[in-house]
Amino acid sequence: MPFSRNSALKIAVIVLRVVMGGIFIYAGYVKLAEPWQLFAAGIADYEVVPMWAAKFLAHTLPWFEVLIGLLLIVGRWLRTSTVSTSLLLLVFFSLMVRAFAGGKEINCGCFGPNELISWKTLVRDGSMLAASLFLAAIAFRNRRTPA
Amino acid sequence: MKILALLVAALTPCLASGPDVDKGRSMGDPSAPMLFEIYSDFSCPGCKHLHDFVLPTIIQDYVRTGKAFLVFREFPLDIPAHKYSRPAAALAVAAARIGKYQTVSDALFRDQGAWATSGKVWDIVAAVLNPEERKRVQALAGESSVLAEVQNDVDRGKQIPITQTPTLMVTYKLRQQPWTQFADYGLFRGYIDALLKK
Repeated sequence: MPFSRNSALKIAVIVLRVVMGGIFIYAGYVKLAEPWQLFAAGIADYEVVPMWAAKFLAHTLPWFEVLIGLLLIVGRWLRTSTVSTSLLLLVFFSLMVRAFAGGKEINCGCFGPNELISWKTLVRDGSMLAASLFLAAIAFRNRRTPA
Repeated sequence: MKILALLVAALTPCLASGPDVDKGRSMGDPSAPMLFEIYSDFSCPGCKHLHDFVLPTIIQDYVRTGKAFLVFREFPLDIPAHKYSRPAAALAVAAARIGKYQTVSDALFRDQGAWATSGKVWDIVAAVLNPEERKRVQALAGESSVLAEVQNDVDRGKQIPITQTPTLMVTYKLRQQPWTQFADYGLFRGYIDALLKK
């Protein structure tokens, strides 16, 4: 049976979902493995939210990352999970660009401590954002197109 | 066996080198489980805040209780606004050689606004020393070993890399973690206590 373009796209989407899901679970896990105060300090370094909000995010965000990572992998509530992933990455990416452009030499806070924001981290997060937007577009297209 | 030998060879320099600092610029028990290294610049306002308001509590909570060994590292920033930071660091290191680091450090931070713009660092230092100490510190501050000690701290910080001052480098169980948030002491205390429980 010939391998159709549609099948190739389906496989690519599944692979991308699993990869993105894995990355999100890993990102959440490495933050949860450290004392939460370290992530809170990392959020505070961006100087965009007050300390109480940094503490709240440090407690909740890693669990949220793990949850949407799992949803991406198992393929449940795909529109919700892909849109959440895209919004989250959009916020992360914007904050990183803002910090980098402002000359701030701070930790990215993406995958645990000790990773300064650089061109490398911007390209990586930008690529993840593009991949996530692509997955969201596919999730919404699949809803409109009956199988 | 080979792996064990390699592991020992890899770890030996870390264990043997220790915190690498003169006694005059440290505080507490060198065998404490945790090492705090404060990289600061005498002209930096954040460093003054840490020194004046946060450090006394850190010393009380962790250094006096034997939980941490505290080392002061000089990290004068090479920017025009901090052009007197390096001479100030050299004077502080020179003062450490005669056991007066804390006295000079306190004075430099207390009167930061006075010398950081005028450059009259010596006036501030001289005011807290007796004539004999003044003579010795002035002579020592020009010595190459003192200047090298300052540069050694800077090089050490750049290697980490230290990206801002003040930075408190926490070393615990051979793992290093820089900490730069001092606006909320509770956050720092929570982090250190969580590490100590590990």
